[in-house]
Amino acid sequence: MEETIKSIVLGLCSGGIYALLAVSYVVIYKSTRVFPFSQAAVLIIGAYIMWYCLIAWHLPIWLGFIITCAGGAILGMFIERAFMRPLVGQPILAPIVVTLCLMLFLRGIGILMGKGDIQGFGESFLPVGAWKVGFLHLPKIQVYGFILCAVLIAALMLFYEKTRTGLGMRVVHEDHVVAQNLGINVKRIFQYSWIISCIIAVVAGMLLGNIQGVGLALDANGLITIAAVLFGGLESFAGAIIAGLAIGILQMLTITYIAPLLPGETTMMIPFVFLLLILFIKPYGLFGLVRIERL
Amino acid sequence: MSININRPCGTFDRNYFQAKEIYRTPLRKILLALLIIGMYLLPFLAGDYGISILTLICAFIIGMLGLQIITGYCGQISIGHAAFMGVGMYTVGILQRHFGLNFWICLPLAGLVPMFIGMMFGVPALRMKGLYLAFATLAAHFVIVYVISNWRSVTNGTDGMWMKRPDAFFGIDFKSDRNYYLLVLTITIIMTYLATNLARSKLGRSFVAVRDNDIAAEVMGINIAYTKIMAFGIGCFFAGISGALGGAYYEYVNIEWFGLDDSIWYLGFLVVGGFGSIFGAIAGATVWKIMDEFSTLVTPLAEIFLGGAAFYASAAFSLVIYSLIIIVFLVLEPRGIAHRWEMVKRSYRLHPFPY
Amino acid sequence: MTEITGDITKKREQRYSYGLMLLRECIEKKRPLTNPNVKERKVLLRAENISIAFGKLQALNNVMVEVKEGEILAIIGPNGAGKTCLLNVISGFYRAQQGDVYMEEKKITHLSSHKIAELGLCRTFQNIALYTGLSVTDNIIAGRHPHIGYNFVTGMIYFPWANKEEAFQRAIAEDIIDFLELEHVRGSVVGMLAYGLRKRVELGRALALEPRILLLDEPMAGMNLDEKEDMARFIIDINEFLKIPIVLIEHDMGVVMDIADRIVVLDFGNKIAEGVPEEIKGNPKVIAAYLGAG
Repeated sequence: MEETIKSIVLGLCSGGIYALLAVSYVVIYKSTRVFPFSQAAVLIIGAYIMWYCLIAWHLPIWLGFIITCAGGAILGMFIERAFMRPLVGQPILAPIVVTLCLMLFLRGIGILMGKGDIQGFGESFLPVGAWKVGFLHLPKIQVYGFILCAVLIAALMLFYEKTRTGLGMRVVHEDHVVAQNLGINVKRIFQYSWIISCIIAVVAGMLLGNIQGVGLALDANGLITIAAVLFGGLESFAGAIIAGLAIGILQMLTITYIAPLLPGETTMMIPFVFLLLILFIKPYGLFGLVRIERL
Repeated sequence: MSININRPCGTFDRNYFQAKEIYRTPLRKILLALLIIGMYLLPFLAGDYGISILTLICAFIIGMLGLQIITGYCGQISIGHAAFMGVGMYTVGILQRHFGLNFWICLPLAGLVPMFIGMMFGVPALRMKGLYLAFATLAAHFVIVYVISNWRSVTNGTDGMWMKRPDAFFGIDFKSDRNYYLLVLTITIIMTYLATNLARSKLGRSFVAVRDNDIAAEVMGINIAYTKIMAFGIGCFFAGISGALGGAYYEYVNIEWFGLDDSIWYLGFLVVGGFGSIFGAIAGATVWKIMDEFSTLVTPLAEIFLGGAAFYASAAFSLVIYSLIIIVFLVLEPRGIAHRWEMVKRSYRLHPFPY
Repeated sequence: MTEITGDITKKREQRYSYGLMLLRECIEKKRPLTNPNVKERKVLLRAENISIAFGKLQALNNVMVEVKEGEILAIIGPNGAGKTCLLNVISGFYRAQQGDVYMEEKKITHLSSHKIAELGLCRTFQNIALYTGLSVTDNIIAGRHPHIGYNFVTGMIYFPWANKEEAFQRAIAEDIIDFLELEHVRGSVVGMLAYGLRKRVELGRALALEPRILLLDEPMAGMNLDEKEDMARFIIDINEFLKIPIVLIEHDMGVVMDIADRIVVLDFGNKIAEGVPEEIKGNPKVIAAYLGAG
């Protein structure tokens, strides 16, 4: 019992980052109807930029944070402008292939940046140590990370609900052509979506790099999050957040209960088995839209 | 523009058999025969290095034909194709290691086992399409790779295992690379012939029907469930054969040869070759393998420029260059080399006139 | 038969179109082709008390439709009346929440779409749904799918009998192409064709299935007068020559009144009238539905 509660709480903490990542997928999918597999590799880039800022250039944390976010924004803008915009209106296969290839492209860039090694931040930029709450042992990194994720998600929600651009994004989500006819610059909305999503992914990359070490293995987190996004339904923020937390918990429970039974990287495999199960049982996720097909 | 432009000028159909021939003019038949004879003679001219490239190209053409059937003809996206190739490879390896079976018995089984596994993972295709199916095949990739790399007692885990080449057949010894290449080439030609016929027969037409308009296909009497499952089955059969031939060439099986990257390259180079045509699959596989060799050749250069260890430079080089090639093709020529080639042939046919 | 349609029938004793001979032979092998006179017509297709709702929108409400042998039945009604929805229910694309569809006294409500198509219930679509990547001939041969005998292994190896079968299917396709006057585009990819031609290809694909009943969803939408006349000629010819009953959804009242034997009027998912064209013309409910009550 104690073990279970422990893994659930820890899972919630690490689930915060998954929720953040899931949101970064949903932002793009909602407005462009393209599923950005590439975000898994944007994580690596984000982590490496932060690593360069902190370790190689000895910049203060706040400056590193800003530079990394700016880097993410530029990356998002570049991807959208150079690779995704020419593909608007092509059959669904084209964006899938391009985002998958982008994932490998960014991975290659990541290898060049990191020279193929796993790097550490030396010392964490978030406070280390742990709190003891009853029998629970809460690492401060996880908790602060969770709080940062929550703040970012809340900010994004506010942006989505309150600003003009957010309204535009919601309209574009409904129908591209209608939105264009209503005078919304759909291309610009696409660009904003990529920029926002890449910033989020970069921040998530920083946090993950802080916990797991900066390296190419980070994109596994991004791939696992795909299961979360699908579980929540591809078009729903609420679903993405809930499912992100759920995947975090599932992963911790896996480590506690299933990993001793099975050999190898169970943490990588179980989310995908979970994903297959979702696809068999409820393909459109918890909050996804089921579109009625018309003839 | 009412005439069929894909037909050589001055050829007319006198019966319905002629109307569906693949090669209508004697010239094209002769050219095809020359090409095949040339492929058989090539190993006697090329060195060992050339033979190794040719063997790999042939093996990968078979796998690419399988993906062409799943994705190009039937429109079902598969991000797990390399894993199915691996299943074929491991089937041969396991059968040889544990049961000591002959390669000639293993080869059809290397097709059939991935076929059934592929059909199993094709079941999600009945309820979903497009992106959701991509997720399902992605998951299939991870599950298959997990099982192979962790079921140590059977697959020897990540260490891989040895494989034997086929025994002598009518006195032809396949221990030498040249003879093995001739075997792979023969199987490739047979498989290409099968795929070509598949594309122009009943099932192939229903594949395209499902790809182009699955709702209409269902209402027009095509059993979508059967069609999609068959596409996955046949495609994975091809992948398995390809894997078995590739593995037997190296006489070694390893899990690292079919990572997620390879599945994505499969899909990507299919785009480069061109969707929905046999020629596209052949062109895609050829470009891929030639690029592979090119990247190993250029690695020393990358070392000079970047410094440091070669292994990461080579890995990064292939990742960056391949993905850029695929993306550039998708942006500039989404229909691939096959379409370009059609355009060239078309302008040649109409030569003195611009249209 | 009514006077108006009677006139047309008289004019059409001599066929104007070529083609369909081979297809007719094919159908005749399976069932006798006779067109009984009006009184003896049996009910071929019966949709009983069909109801279906999307959320709170009642798309169809207790609709009952019968299709008799050899007739042309028109379903008309304002936009959103549920005409296409009714066809979708009959062809098994939507599942009715209540009610059943019977074909020759066989219940087909629970069957999947392709089984229904194999029974001979073929349709065309309002928004053209062709296989855009295939040529016109291949589209029509793809329509022959349930009637092609060989299995996929035979197809892959291409045994001589598969070759023969393919040639035969091509002959039938060419027969249909002759009839629909598509000779000049037979090799073109369908995606590149003009709208009117695509509608014809779709009709050809439905014909290739050797239909027992043909459901046409707005075959003349968006066509000019000439194309409409052509289409009407094809429809009447199919009906007369192959003795296939036709269910027609159409907005052009002129065409409907001219070629239909019976008309069913839908409005907001309810059947408000049924009868021969004269009765429908004078029916106050129909006039109210089209022109607004009062």
